Amino acid sequence: MMIIASDPLLSSDIGFSVVAIMLLKVVIAFALLMVSVMLVIWFERKIVADMHNRVGPSLAGPWGILQTLADGIKLFFKEDLLPERADRVVFRLAPYLSLVPAFLSFAIVPIGGDFTNGGDGTVSIFGHRTLLQVADPPVGILLFLALSSIAVYGVMLAGWSSGSKYPLLGSVRASAQMISYEAALGLSMATVFLFSGTLSTSGIVSGQATWNWNLVSTGFIPFIIFVIAGTAELNRPPFDLVEAEQELVGGFHTEYSSIRFALFFLAEFMNMITMSAIAVTLFLGGPNGPILIKQIAWVWPILWFFLKVMAFLFTFVWLRATLPRLRYDQLMDLGWKLLIPASLGWFLLIAALNIGEDRGWSTFLIVPIGLIVLSLAALLLNGAIKKAKDSSLHAADLSEISEGVDQ
Amino acid sequence: MTGFFLSQIQGLDPLTSDEVLVAQNVFFALIALVMILAALKMVTTENIVHAALYLVIVLAGAAGMFILLGAEFVAVTQILVYIGAIIVLFLFGIMLTKGSFGTEEGELRERNRMAVLVAVLIVAVTSGSFIDSFRDAELNRQAPSTTADIGDSIFGQFIIPFEAISVLLLAALIGSVVIARRDQ
Amino acid sequence: MTSQYLPVIALLVLAVLFAAISFVVSRLLAPRSPNDRKQAPYECGIIPAEEDPNERFPVRFYLVAMIFIVFDIEIIFFYPWALSHRSLGLFGLVAVVIFALAVFESFIYLIGKGALEWGPNKQVKPKDSVVSLTRNTSNTIRRVGVRKVGQEGRDLPNQSVENKEVSS
Repeated sequence: MMIIASDPLLSSDIGFSVVAIMLLKVVIAFALLMVSVMLVIWFERKIVADMHNRVGPSLAGPWGILQTLADGIKLFFKEDLLPERADRVVFRLAPYLSLVPAFLSFAIVPIGGDFTNGGDGTVSIFGHRTLLQVADPPVGILLFLALSSIAVYGVMLAGWSSGSKYPLLGSVRASAQMISYEAALGLSMATVFLFSGTLSTSGIVSGQATWNWNLVSTGFIPFIIFVIAGTAELNRPPFDLVEAEQELVGGFHTEYSSIRFALFFLAEFMNMITMSAIAVTLFLGGPNGPILIKQIAWVWPILWFFLKVMAFLFTFVWLRATLPRLRYDQLMDLGWKLLIPASLGWFLLIAALNIGEDRGWSTFLIVPIGLIVLSLAALLLNGAIKKAKDSSLHAADLSEISEGVDQ
Repeated sequence: MTGFFLSQIQGLDPLTSDEVLVAQNVFFALIALVMILAALKMVTTENIVHAALYLVIVLAGAAGMFILLGAEFVAVTQILVYIGAIIVLFLFGIMLTKGSFGTEEGELRERNRMAVLVAVLIVAVTSGSFIDSFRDAELNRQAPSTTADIGDSIFGQFIIPFEAISVLLLAALIGSVVIARRDQ
Repeated sequence: MTSQYLPVIALLVLAVLFAAISFVVSRLLAPRSPNDRKQAPYECGIIPAEEDPNERFPVRFYLVAMIFIVFDIEIIFFYPWALSHRSLGLFGLVAVVIFALAVFESFIYLIGKGALEWGPNKQVKPKDSVVSLTRNTSNTIRRVGVRKVGQEGRDLPNQSVENKEVSS
């Protein structure tokens, strides 16, 4: 299967009408992100309030739906402080480094378009055919990974440039956490590429057009790993050690106030939306779904896409209300000693299955052999983990410490 | 309203492929200029974190160059590995050993002289080998390399270097642990 | 092909403009009256202790970044293979498994050596001076801005602040 990914809009000569449509799409994506961030923050506060048996925001607008807007406007009127020990240039730069990747990574998400029955997902605007996504570069999904690796800088530099203790601790923690889970995220994506045969997001979506969602064909495990690693990458609860209030005040943005703080907040929620959208694109068939009423066929893919994303957003909020925060060593152990080896092993197993299928090997032979090899590797890993635990931490050390304090 | 606007500007000629090439050259010049300025700032700035950030700009510029050449996978690799991992390692290193960077006048001048020498040597060697290996050969600019093509050539022509890299990575990991353990 | 990135550049410009305009608007609307209480590092009003210049972060953070580079490179090699693994067949699979085994082996060594242990380790030993009866809140903590009168008389004089705290 060879798919040369590209948006038909930009493949031919670029006239002024093409540029106008391109700019229109960019502005729509921008507005969509801003409005959905506003609604998602309200949604999160309302749902969490329900789960806590509270009312939540209720005064600004009907059901408090304008609360985020009110908060945002309020932050414009707040004094913008520059801490005395701050590195002025980097302190001002850091919010940009957080916000810009958050905006850009949404560009590759296809939010609609009919991919079923041989459709290529394009729609016609003013006589030009175009995809319902801002850009469709051939390396599509890798652009998302690259941007999330740039987003680490926003967090890291915000903490460092504040010239203060807690932000620095928070940012070093956060960046170590983000790079750790980026590896698991990348490996779980690799399993999807085994089936899609392309890196372009529209290609991945059109590969799942006939209800053959990657969720099932990759065998659920990569999806679970992706969601866990994605939650950690977003610094969402239960992985929000970055802003563990009891230990670090506000984490990396402790020293930020006014609009700079608002931009970090905006970026955080934008990343949450994009991560949900990417998960939908990779595993849940993107905008694919049944088209019920033929007259408004173009509406359905968009509707399905938004419903799927909503399910993810609800899950993120649900996790926040349900799970207690992990300890830092638990977080690192989960990432490095479970998710990364598991996604690596699963990737190789699925690839072996695919190749075996092509060569006509019996599946009943490959699966047991693969599982035996993987469990041997798991045993080896487990042995190494045990050895490290034994040599580093003993009950004796702890009692030694408490004795020392008692004296 | 929009339709009227569009019909007005549709009368103008679209860019031909030659003009796109001109645009490409303009972008090249812009990126090159930014890269050179950032590289100069990087070696002259006093603050080591700022130096690392200027290096990020240079590396991002290189990624932009790769995109201009149609080598998108290489561009993403450049961002993921160099910006997303190696400079983060640098920054961790800087934060690990905060403060204590001795910058005495004489020492700095001595180091600068060596740095200039090394830089001139590197420029001479790389440009020499580039000119020597390409000469007048014109590269085919209509053939962008897809990621699958890269896979084919890694596992065909370059299989030995690929396996050698795994050994290199192994050595790097073990080396880092040995050094870190000794420190503790 | 390169033209596929034009919208990305347009979005980039829009995002930067948005952030820049927000800053300008905020600068026009927001009050500006900095004083040393506001600008002090946020430690709940306590003047931060002078930091020990030799104080360092645990070397594990550095190790994590190092290991991440290795895994990043490994993953980068996996992607092109994943796209064309069917056409490369058994040969490609064997090549990748050998590659992955080499990295996995060093990963096992790393974990066995405790490079990824984040729990408390043996080096955590109590200092003799952890508990000292002569050190208490009144002789170790200095409050930001309380000792001096701040700009525009915003900071209360020394005496009345302490009175307030006693009463509350």
